[in-house]
Amino acid sequence: MPRYYDSYYFPPSQPLTVKGGIKAQSKRGRFGQTWWGRRWIDTLESFSIGARLGRGKSYARSGQVLFIDIEKGEVHSAVQGSRRAPYGLEIKLRIYKRTDWKKLAESLRQQPFYVARLLSGEIPEDFEHIMKEHEMPLLPEPWNDLEMDCACPDWSNPCKHIAAVIYLLAEEFDRDPFLLFELRGITREEFLFDITGTVVEAKKDADEMEETTHSASPLTPDDHFWEEGPLPDDLYGVVRTPPAPAALPKRLGKFPFWRAEEALSDVLEPLYRKASLRGAKVFQGEE
Amino acid sequence: MILLHLGVCNEELFLWGEVPPVDHSMPDEEDSASDLPYDATANVLVSAAAEGGLCLQVKRAISLYVWLPTRDGIPLPSSPLIADTPPKDTKPVLGSWHITAVALSAEEAFYFLADCYGKEMLAPGIILGSDIRFFRRVLRFTSALVTRERFLPDVCERDGEFQAVWEPLFVGNDSNKLAALAEAMPQVCRALTNEKETAPGEPSIAVVSKVTNMFLDYLVRLSWMEKRPTSTRSRKGRKKTFASVHDQWIHALRTWNGAMSGETGELEYLAGQIKAWRRSISVSTGAPFRLTFRLEEPEEDDSTDQWYVRYLLNAADDPSLFIEVEDAWDPGKQTKSIIAKRQTNIQEYLLTSLGHVSSLDPVLAESLKRPRPGGASLDTAGAYTFLTETAWLLQQAGYNVQLPVWWSSSSGARNKLSVRASISSPAMKSDGGLSLDEVVKFNWKVALGDEKLSLQELETLARMKMPLVKIRGQWVQFDAKAIQEAIDFWKKKSSNQSITARDVVHMALGLAETPEILPFEGVEATGWVGDLLQSLEHGAEIEKIPVPDQFEGTLRPYQSRGYAWLAFLQRWGFGACLADDMGLGKTPQTLVFIQHRWEANDKRPVLVVCPTSVMGNWQKEAAHFTPSLPVLMHHGPRRVKEPEAFQEEALRQAIVITSFPLLYRDFETLSQINWAAVILDEAQNIKNPKTKQAKAARALQSDFRVALTGTPVENNVGELWSIMEFLNPGFLYSQAKFKRRFFVPIQVDRDMNAVERLKKITGPFILRRLKTDKTIIDDLPEKQETNVFTNLTKEQGSLYRAVVKEISESLEGTDDGIKRKGLILATLMKLKQICNHPAQFLHDSSAIPGRSGKLTRLVEMLEEVYEVGDRVLIFTQFTEMGTMLQRHLQETFGREALFLHGGVPKNRRDRMVERFQEDEYGPLFFILSLKAAGTGLNLTRANHVFHYDRWWNPAVENQATDRAFRIGQTKHVQVYKFVCTGTIEEQINEMIEQKQDVADSIVGTGEQWITELSTRDLKKIIRLQKGTVK
Repeated sequence: MPRYYDSYYFPPSQPLTVKGGIKAQSKRGRFGQTWWGRRWIDTLESFSIGARLGRGKSYARSGQVLFIDIEKGEVHSAVQGSRRAPYGLEIKLRIYKRTDWKKLAESLRQQPFYVARLLSGEIPEDFEHIMKEHEMPLLPEPWNDLEMDCACPDWSNPCKHIAAVIYLLAEEFDRDPFLLFELRGITREEFLFDITGTVVEAKKDADEMEETTHSASPLTPDDHFWEEGPLPDDLYGVVRTPPAPAALPKRLGKFPFWRAEEALSDVLEPLYRKASLRGAKVFQGEE
Repeated sequence: MILLHLGVCNEELFLWGEVPPVDHSMPDEEDSASDLPYDATANVLVSAAAEGGLCLQVKRAISLYVWLPTRDGIPLPSSPLIADTPPKDTKPVLGSWHITAVALSAEEAFYFLADCYGKEMLAPGIILGSDIRFFRRVLRFTSALVTRERFLPDVCERDGEFQAVWEPLFVGNDSNKLAALAEAMPQVCRALTNEKETAPGEPSIAVVSKVTNMFLDYLVRLSWMEKRPTSTRSRKGRKKTFASVHDQWIHALRTWNGAMSGETGELEYLAGQIKAWRRSISVSTGAPFRLTFRLEEPEEDDSTDQWYVRYLLNAADDPSLFIEVEDAWDPGKQTKSIIAKRQTNIQEYLLTSLGHVSSLDPVLAESLKRPRPGGASLDTAGAYTFLTETAWLLQQAGYNVQLPVWWSSSSGARNKLSVRASISSPAMKSDGGLSLDEVVKFNWKVALGDEKLSLQELETLARMKMPLVKIRGQWVQFDAKAIQEAIDFWKKKSSNQSITARDVVHMALGLAETPEILPFEGVEATGWVGDLLQSLEHGAEIEKIPVPDQFEGTLRPYQSRGYAWLAFLQRWGFGACLADDMGLGKTPQTLVFIQHRWEANDKRPVLVVCPTSVMGNWQKEAAHFTPSLPVLMHHGPRRVKEPEAFQEEALRQAIVITSFPLLYRDFETLSQINWAAVILDEAQNIKNPKTKQAKAARALQSDFRVALTGTPVENNVGELWSIMEFLNPGFLYSQAKFKRRFFVPIQVDRDMNAVERLKKITGPFILRRLKTDKTIIDDLPEKQETNVFTNLTKEQGSLYRAVVKEISESLEGTDDGIKRKGLILATLMKLKQICNHPAQFLHDSSAIPGRSGKLTRLVEMLEEVYEVGDRVLIFTQFTEMGTMLQRHLQETFGREALFLHGGVPKNRRDRMVERFQEDEYGPLFFILSLKAAGTGLNLTRANHVFHYDRWWNPAVENQATDRAFRIGQTKHVQVYKFVCTGTIEEQINEMIEQKQDVADSIVGTGEQWITELSTRDLKKIIRLQKGTVK
């Protein structure tokens, strides 16, 4: 590529190319697969910032957003624009008091459906209705709940950089609705504690669990030292290649803030299929 | 001999081995970790591993410690093949021993274990320890997880280095299976350590998980990369740069080593993201309960069609413990304590799981709208959806599903629709003249289990278009469209009048393609077709037919039945596999059938193909039972190979005997003839359908095919196809289809239906009687003696001739009586040694395999005995031969063989006898020196007695036989006396048998009488007969 294509000759609004930024899953059309994701976008779009929306979308798709950090009530991020240094930005939401959350939990306990769906990664359609009854809507009202700030020179707020981050956040909310709760001031663990009334420790890694439960077990020098013990008849179960490949990772859904060029499912599907076929060969003793 | 072991130390698998100790110096008790006296040194280990395709270098060997049960400062060997175990008077303690070991990479372990599949030995003398067989199972377990796609990508950190890895995921039942596997792990698998002072204490579950992880990671990478890496070292090229850590991760997941580099912070962030991504699964992986869905049928008298899916919690540590979910929301005292004992936040688990379930199925989701949900109601259509779709989804997601028995039971026979046919045909005419091509009258009815249904009833149900219908109080899956098609199929079949007896037989055996939804289940037939089906089904009860006049010998009742069965199958053109236990007389049953054909005026020859080692036996038996039949031995360098000359020669014979190797080498010649029958003895020789001999056997022309074997063919699904394809081509479909229809379902899924179907198809053509069968046992004498005739090998033949030549010359010049006597006795000794084994004669401890016809035959026969787990005594009069036998049998079978001879002290002798008699897992083979053990011992655990060489004194031999055949013996005893054809052994054997009444007086004094023979007579009996050498 010839030199003069360097930033100096670029039209000013053309952003610098970034590799390894967060890439939107959505490749064209609208963002937000879920109703709450779309509502989040609606909030952004209600600001009538014109062409900035389209720019924001393409920033989100081309990976201009370098990172996104979520804390209680706050989002911090950086976006690569046309200047060498990326723009830092922040988005804040109004948070609710823990006592209000506890009151909400009280009424949710009577309808296990809502919490069950939330835990499985979905906000039921009429959930926002309940939230509003408690005067604590989950999704922000454009002017009261939302505070946004970007270091770019654009006078508009939100600018295209904030728009890009909001689009990407919509995808993350699709995946994990508890991120919205966090922006409203309560973590998943705290919310669960309020619902079940039991302390839920941050779920330990499966490996850690194993390590803690495995206490040392000394060898016993008996006659069975060399012998194999009895095994269940159905040790291997029904061994078949599943009808659709990579069902397990698909069940886990979108990977948080995916940044690679290739989509994860495009990588995993052929790989799982090949592995399954090879595994069957080994199982049948052909290898 | 070496016994190989695999063990885990830290993060790696190590190969090590035990060999019998070189000298008997035992370690110094002072030193707490001396060298293991059985340790296989690096060279031995490396060359043994090469047999398993492992290319290791000696320089890779390191030293480790193994902690073994140790008694009085002596480590116990893992097997008596390595060394004798000292008596069990004191309890062993753990001792640490120094060994040589080689670490295997995942790839090496994978290919090595793949090579060990289904084997107890890698090669003669290279025995696999129980630990290797165990890890082979772990590999298989892992490959099952991979096939089912129970794995996920991850990153792991080890010593600051990050690696992209593939990890197994154990949900629900899989974690129980892993635990069961760990429970069964031999302790020796985790007995390795590099610390001298501390015994290893890593729990089995950790060891098994580690190895499972290692295999899984390798297997997934291997399947992606497709071939093994050309070099184990990764090419150090330019470091690839990645735009993001995610790019790097998915790249590393598809490389051989998965290595990742970069900022620790970024990699740790990735690890956190992966954890968040996997959260929905990790909630259920650690839970002490499993959510279970039970589908309950509507009440008997309920007309509203209300089905119910009940939600239950099943305790992971107690599969029989269920709690109703309804009670778990607000638990009563009892439920509370059950939950409390398992320390869990039951509500979180329930909410998360039910939330997940609710996204799989809207009906289940609806049930969560009430407080404390305990289940969901369904209508019949909903129940059908649950049975066919939701249940599968739930199981895939790791939940338990309990379905009504009539749906899930693999047999499901009770509620299955089927077609029954009735056939009427005229009675069997005595003059035959019927064939399978005869058209028969065919009527059919529909049945549900034992209930009959009218066609009208069925068609009415089909019009209702309900997926589940209740017929006569039973729920039945009902695919209306398929049912209507099936009805049409059967209507057409019965109307066009073209069903032949062959079609009926095929349908009755389950060979014909019939609609799956309305399969052909049973047939009622009258007349000859009925008789035919009846006889096929109950082979052993076929009406007897007269024994041909010129058959010399009497048949036991079960043998007459076998003979009639052969004649029956031949009559209808089916092939037969006679698979009677060894010793029940498969040869005479076959010979009487051959005689029967001959006398029925089929004067074409029968071809008998057998292993070279039993050719002599066939010739002898034919001469004995069917002396009137002309027999041709087609073997040896002077056999007629020229097709036309052979044809001329063979067509004059009743029987042509040849060997498996000649079957394909002389195929041109043998295939000239349209044989009356082709008989394969030891038919397991064609078990691999791709071998030349199997192909040749299938290509021979003949009207009737017989396979003889003593091994339980019907149990070995893999080998069955080849034998059946020889007998009845096409019956078991093509090999690929057979694999799909039977092999995979039976071997892989343990599908009992497939087992039944296979049995139904093959059953009529396999006749296997066991000596222990009630109907057989009364027919058998309590002790049955058989001569086993074997051939000499070329080497044995030339040694034999040389000795005979030498003595003939010496005798000419000897008049001195005493000197002559000494010379003769010495010669007898030499000839016997040659017959036994060239190495015994040469005293040179040279190689054993393949040099003695007798030994080859012994091993073949022992293989059959070994299959059924019987115990065996083998007598020899030579200690040297006994030692060779012990070594050879141990190396061939990988199992201990005892050897009792004059040099064994009293206490060890007692212990051998005790272990042979009492120990359930004791040695199967007991070699005894005739002199040391001919009397006194009680060895009734054995029911096979082999006389490997002969004392030529029936009294002495009988006394030896009586070690097994005596009070306390509960089985029939088979006695085999080995005789080398054409040698002095055969001559003397004949003399004894012909003069049984005077035998005692001649031979009563051992072998002395031979020295009394005239030189002419002597020469006559020792000379080697022509055509007896292989």
